[in-house]
Amino acid sequence: MLERVAYLLPPELSEVLARLPASVLAGLEEIRIRENRPLEVWTGGGSAFVTSGGLLNNSPDGAFKPSADMCRRLLERMTNHSVYAMEEELRRGYITVEGGHRIGLAGRTVLEEGKVRSIRDIGGFNVRIARDAAGVSLNTLPMLIDRARQSIASTLIVGAPRQGKTTFIRDLARAVSYGKWPNTSGWTGRKVGIVDERSEIAACVRGVPTFDVGPRTDVMDACPKAEGMMMMIRSMSPEVLVVDEIGRDEDVEAIREAVRAGVAVVATAHAGGWQEAAARPAIRRLLQDNAFARGVVLKRSEAGLAARVIDLELVAGQNAASTASSPARAAGHSPAAPREPTSWPAAGDANAR
Amino acid sequence: MRMLVKLIGAALVLFAGTLIGFLQAARYADRPKQIRQLSSSLQRLETEIVYGRTPLPDALRTTAASAEQPAGRLLQSAADELSLGDGRTFRECWEAAMRSGWPSTSMRAPELNVTLRLGSTLGISDKDDQLKHLRLAAVQLKAEEDAAKDEQSKYEKMSRSLGLLLAALVVILMV
Repeated sequence: MLERVAYLLPPELSEVLARLPASVLAGLEEIRIRENRPLEVWTGGGSAFVTSGGLLNNSPDGAFKPSADMCRRLLERMTNHSVYAMEEELRRGYITVEGGHRIGLAGRTVLEEGKVRSIRDIGGFNVRIARDAAGVSLNTLPMLIDRARQSIASTLIVGAPRQGKTTFIRDLARAVSYGKWPNTSGWTGRKVGIVDERSEIAACVRGVPTFDVGPRTDVMDACPKAEGMMMMIRSMSPEVLVVDEIGRDEDVEAIREAVRAGVAVVATAHAGGWQEAAARPAIRRLLQDNAFARGVVLKRSEAGLAARVIDLELVAGQNAASTASSPARAAGHSPAAPREPTSWPAAGDANAR
Repeated sequence: MRMLVKLIGAALVLFAGTLIGFLQAARYADRPKQIRQLSSSLQRLETEIVYGRTPLPDALRTTAASAEQPAGRLLQSAADELSLGDGRTFRECWEAAMRSGWPSTSMRAPELNVTLRLGSTLGISDKDDQLKHLRLAAVQLKAEEDAAKDEQSKYEKMSRSLGLLLAALVVILMV
């Protein structure tokens, strides 16, 4: 894992990290560098401090402390010696570098009219190592298929942070783009449009994706989601739109527009579970509109990524049936009423895997 | 026979002296021209940085490709040093490139200092700040160019004739 980001790190720092045991390096997730404070790594789901001899330690005493000079070199390297070209990234507080690795920054902010314009005196870096787990969506894809259109159905993927949502939609985009449909023959790949506001899905460097997102995929990099979706629909005629982390009001209108235009939308949203997601105003409106045909809840466990699929079309059908049948039952006409409608997240469980 | 050797020797001394004089004069003539070229290529770099938001290594390379020599050579070698990627900062790469390339130009220490000062600020701040530093360097280079022009008008002709005259003096003393 280290070699993927070693080119960013100053030589002294990567030497220290290279002394870590191989098992630690293989599971390396985050390197947290703070100026003149102990060097910390996240590995295999836990945190530890690193001594200059390459040993892990739970207490910060005796840990290696990166110097101010080292931090300056690190910043120069990760901005490619061009801070002026990274103003937007500095405003947002992170930089995405080649390979999709994301570096979070902390320091003193520069304000302009009360809004953050930039960060200077950067003293904290969090290097998050991106890993591209190809095939994570393979088991789930069969349940997300829209047979009538020979494509993927509109899907909303929810999960808490760090559960692999971005990895999941990247893999879905790739599968759809290559046309790797399970158990079907003769279906071609679909044109995919990715609106990648945070440069995480495709990790574009100078407009070219560094992750494999498939041959029929176009990426609108660093573009606000709602605007990007409209631009894509107008100009790139996508059949599937992929967006990360929806939840604002303007996203709702853009997704409605996409669905009306016959484009399948695959989106993710931050939420602990399905109910939390459905409680968010923007997402509730989309669900009421039946903008999504499937819901997926992601959870990462030791065994790997667990995905629970909810068939929203089925749920909507049941709800419609239940409202239609209830007046009849009230009138006492139908003793053999359709089975008691279950609340829809629970109904989803019936289709869950 | 001896007379002939003396004549040939005198001719050689005269020729060499004149040549040295002319070379010196050429250095005086080239200096303002080269400063102007450096200044205009820095202006192109400014466009790349401020309007194009091009990352510095690429900006240097495109600027170097369109610049006249020796400014282009200096910028290109800075870009080359940078692309080695051995963990040095931009300032260190810039300084190494300028110091090694400078003796082969007609430019002198004052403009080298301006260039080195610029190198310690390039790339490490936002675009407004970059613009200010580049403009400041342009103003300073303009001042150096004017000084160089003054020197040129004073010393160019003089050094040309001085070469010949000194050679003549040497010949007279030897005879």
